Amino acid sequence: MINFILPLFGRFHPILVHLPIGFLVFGAILIFWAGKKYGAYAPVIQLAFLVGGFSALLASMSGFLHYQNEGYSWDTVKFHLILGILTTLLSFGMWYHLKKSVLSPIPLKLQSAGLLFFLTVTGHLGGNITHGDDYFTEVLPPGLQAFLGGNTGNGEPLELPADNWEEVEFYAGAIKPILDRNCKSCHNPKKLKGELDLSSFKGIQKGGEDGMILKAENAEESPLLIRMLLPEDHEDHMPPRDKRQPRKEEIELIKAWIESGASEKVKLGESAINESLIEPFFKKRERPFYPIAELPKLAQDFISKLREQGFFAEAVKKDSPLLKISCVNFQAFSDSDWHMLQSAKDHIVYLDLTGTAITDILLEQIAILPNLTVLKLNKTSIEGSSLEKLTENKSLKLLYINNTKVPLDKLTPLDGHPTLEKVFAFETPAADSASSPQFSFHLEAGSLSLPPLASDTIVY
Amino acid sequence: MKSLDKMLAEFAQQKLEKQTRRHFLMDCVSKVGGLAMAPLLFGCGTDSSIGSTGLNLSQRDLNPLSPLPPPFGAKAKSIIYLHMAGAPSQLELFDYKPELVKYHNQPCPESLLEGRKFAFIRGVPNILGPQAKFSQQGESGAWISDYLPHFQKLADEVSFLKAVHTDQFNHGPAQLFMQTGSARLGRPSLGSWVTYGLGTENQNLPGFVVLTSGGKTPDAGKSVWGSGFLPSVYQGVQCRSKGDPVLYLDDPEGMSRNLKKNVIDAINTINREEFEAYGDPEILARINQYEMAYRMQIEVPEVMNISDEPESIHALYGTKPGSESFANNCLLARKMVEKGVRFVQLYDWGWDTHGTDHDGSIDMGLRNKCREIDRPISALLLDLKQRGMLEDTLVVWGGEFGRTPMQENREGKTQSFMGRDHHVDAFTMWMAGGGIKPGVSYGRTDDFGFSGVEDKVSVHDIHATILHLMGFDHEKFTYEFQGRPFRLTDVEGELINKILA
Repeated sequence: MINFILPLFGRFHPILVHLPIGFLVFGAILIFWAGKKYGAYAPVIQLAFLVGGFSALLASMSGFLHYQNEGYSWDTVKFHLILGILTTLLSFGMWYHLKKSVLSPIPLKLQSAGLLFFLTVTGHLGGNITHGDDYFTEVLPPGLQAFLGGNTGNGEPLELPADNWEEVEFYAGAIKPILDRNCKSCHNPKKLKGELDLSSFKGIQKGGEDGMILKAENAEESPLLIRMLLPEDHEDHMPPRDKRQPRKEEIELIKAWIESGASEKVKLGESAINESLIEPFFKKRERPFYPIAELPKLAQDFISKLREQGFFAEAVKKDSPLLKISCVNFQAFSDSDWHMLQSAKDHIVYLDLTGTAITDILLEQIAILPNLTVLKLNKTSIEGSSLEKLTENKSLKLLYINNTKVPLDKLTPLDGHPTLEKVFAFETPAADSASSPQFSFHLEAGSLSLPPLASDTIVY
Repeated sequence: MKSLDKMLAEFAQQKLEKQTRRHFLMDCVSKVGGLAMAPLLFGCGTDSSIGSTGLNLSQRDLNPLSPLPPPFGAKAKSIIYLHMAGAPSQLELFDYKPELVKYHNQPCPESLLEGRKFAFIRGVPNILGPQAKFSQQGESGAWISDYLPHFQKLADEVSFLKAVHTDQFNHGPAQLFMQTGSARLGRPSLGSWVTYGLGTENQNLPGFVVLTSGGKTPDAGKSVWGSGFLPSVYQGVQCRSKGDPVLYLDDPEGMSRNLKKNVIDAINTINREEFEAYGDPEILARINQYEMAYRMQIEVPEVMNISDEPESIHALYGTKPGSESFANNCLLARKMVEKGVRFVQLYDWGWDTHGTDHDGSIDMGLRNKCREIDRPISALLLDLKQRGMLEDTLVVWGGEFGRTPMQENREGKTQSFMGRDHHVDAFTMWMAGGGIKPGVSYGRTDDFGFSGVEDKVSVHDIHATILHLMGFDHEKFTYEFQGRPFRLTDVEGELINKILA
């Protein structure tokens, strides 16, 4: 019956620890504040350290019980525990000193400062146990975190090589990275939530406070998987709903691992796993369509202003500094209006001037857009005299000159442009000069047709 | 003119009313009462700003159609969705089943029918072999039948999904499911979601336009392009497919454009005050509709007029200005996307080939129907390609379900024409353009073409993929309604990675 008393007392530790902090800090403040009038305050100061000592004793005792009953490992608590006891002893020591003799103020101040130092370190270590040792650094900007040596990433997402995935070790190469990314922050040797360590194969085999978490070759009955598959609002769902949730593919892979026997050394290729489960983790060699540019984001006001002037203006995606501009509602746009776009010249990656009143002269301005990727000049009066300027655009991929008077020879300077992929020149003199030469880019001449078929007119 | 004076007088009256003591008192009652009620109603707001996660809705100000950036990089900026209402037979167009020939006119194996329900088939029907000649086309070797001789040449431009399945075997619910992600009424259509998420590029045209052909609108009615619980400004705008696409575009005699502007401004001033008072997004929708109607006068006559297109384009599409045809709609779709319309939805009615009459027969009516779309869909793809529009325009083709490998035996009787019943287990759709890897045939059906056996794709998967191409994560693109976030894909949907470029 009485068994619960000790664990209960242990659980008072987080409350009791605040008492010695209060008393001892109060005592130290009095020492510094009293200065030469020490004599007048002596009894109060003595009392502060005596009560501080007793409360520190209570805190230490409850802390020890807490450690015994709540499954903290010795490695986690050892410094906190030792320093806690040390602080208790020092408090009584201070009280004893003060009672026996009146020290001169200077050593007294030094001693109380020393006590405060131990108190602070003990408290901080205690806080690390409950809140995690990244409690303070977590909120810092990533740059500062890295400077302080912190681990900014939560583990990289799992990536597997597409060509020899069979050689990757199932546990070390696939399962461990998934668990590190999704579970390790709570289930590691230091934190051991639920007495479970998911950061090592041994820890997984050992299980947690509710016993084994794996049932070999039976994923559906393995608590490791069951917990992840529970509905997110279920009390036992893991990871907790406010934490990052694993991808479906990650869970599928864990399931496959358990079903294959949850062995440590087996390789992916030996486990008879379906390749479709691996595929989602293959490294994508996909390069983004628009250039990656480190630019300050444009103010929403600026974008609103562009819209008021008649442009379609929008970031290529949320929170991206890169800008798409179209003149679909601003057909009167002409060379003299360029100044409106001037301040966004680094940001524009997509510029649609279809149907506007621009001339060849504007291409000199367009040529200085460093990140321009798509340029549409359809249905304008350009004749191509300045198209060669576009060799300066180092990111241009698609150029549209449909329905213009650009002849083929004006495109020749663009031959060999390192990034230009396609030029669309439907209904231009360039397209009409039938024997088009081979350019480094694909020239789409258009005028595609579907020759009539005999069957076109049959009615059944 | 008399009515106009009356209207302006009414406007003055309305404006004054906003400032009267009576109105103040009335307002007090509703406002103070409202304040008291607010905590009770928490979570059921009508405030337009609560809408969705992941979107910078505050950018929308007073214009619900103003553009928003996609949350993720988008591969396509526009969609042309070609819906063959009535459901074409995949077994005559794309899903070649030589095995089926052997069983032609023999009773269907019981194993296929066990526990199955069909819309019209009763008892044990006979197998109906493929009626078209199939051949492999292009470098991709995709199977396309001679029902679509022009489209055969475009095999390498598109990606086929050959094992699509749905769970609705009647037209209405199946169309709703295909277009809104739910077989029941009340959900926003795909076009509404996309327009809600991205706004529109051209401020003088609706973001979501619907064109119909084939003589009828889809069985599910206008809900297939409805906005469901989204503000109604995001619903599809249906244009007439014959005669003037939009009525009353010209100013009536005696009504100058300026005068009209004044009237609309006056109405909208009142509406805006109403909006400030009540915050109902439907009022914004109303304001926007007036303004859009006014602005459409500038752009619509040009965009909707196909008679100005050169002869070569008419020859390509097979268009005849003035008539109602799928071909005209395809050309219109291209013109509208060119002008910055976000979503163009085409419905072509008449694909319901049960074999009850000549028009509904697999070997005759279906062929005629294929004639009507073969050249236009091929022309649309070619035209988009030659203009470079296929780079950022997604084209989707499909019906609401497929058709059975069995001859229909309506009421247990033998039909006088070859026909197939509705079939939910497997059918073919294709996609092309923005972000789609061309020349892929994804998915495989069994030897009867009855069910998918490999790489099956659900309607939700298609929605997830389309949203992905438009720059959304379908799991995060939600709208808060009646206390819970709603998604187009509900709780399902997986990306079809294999057809993504």
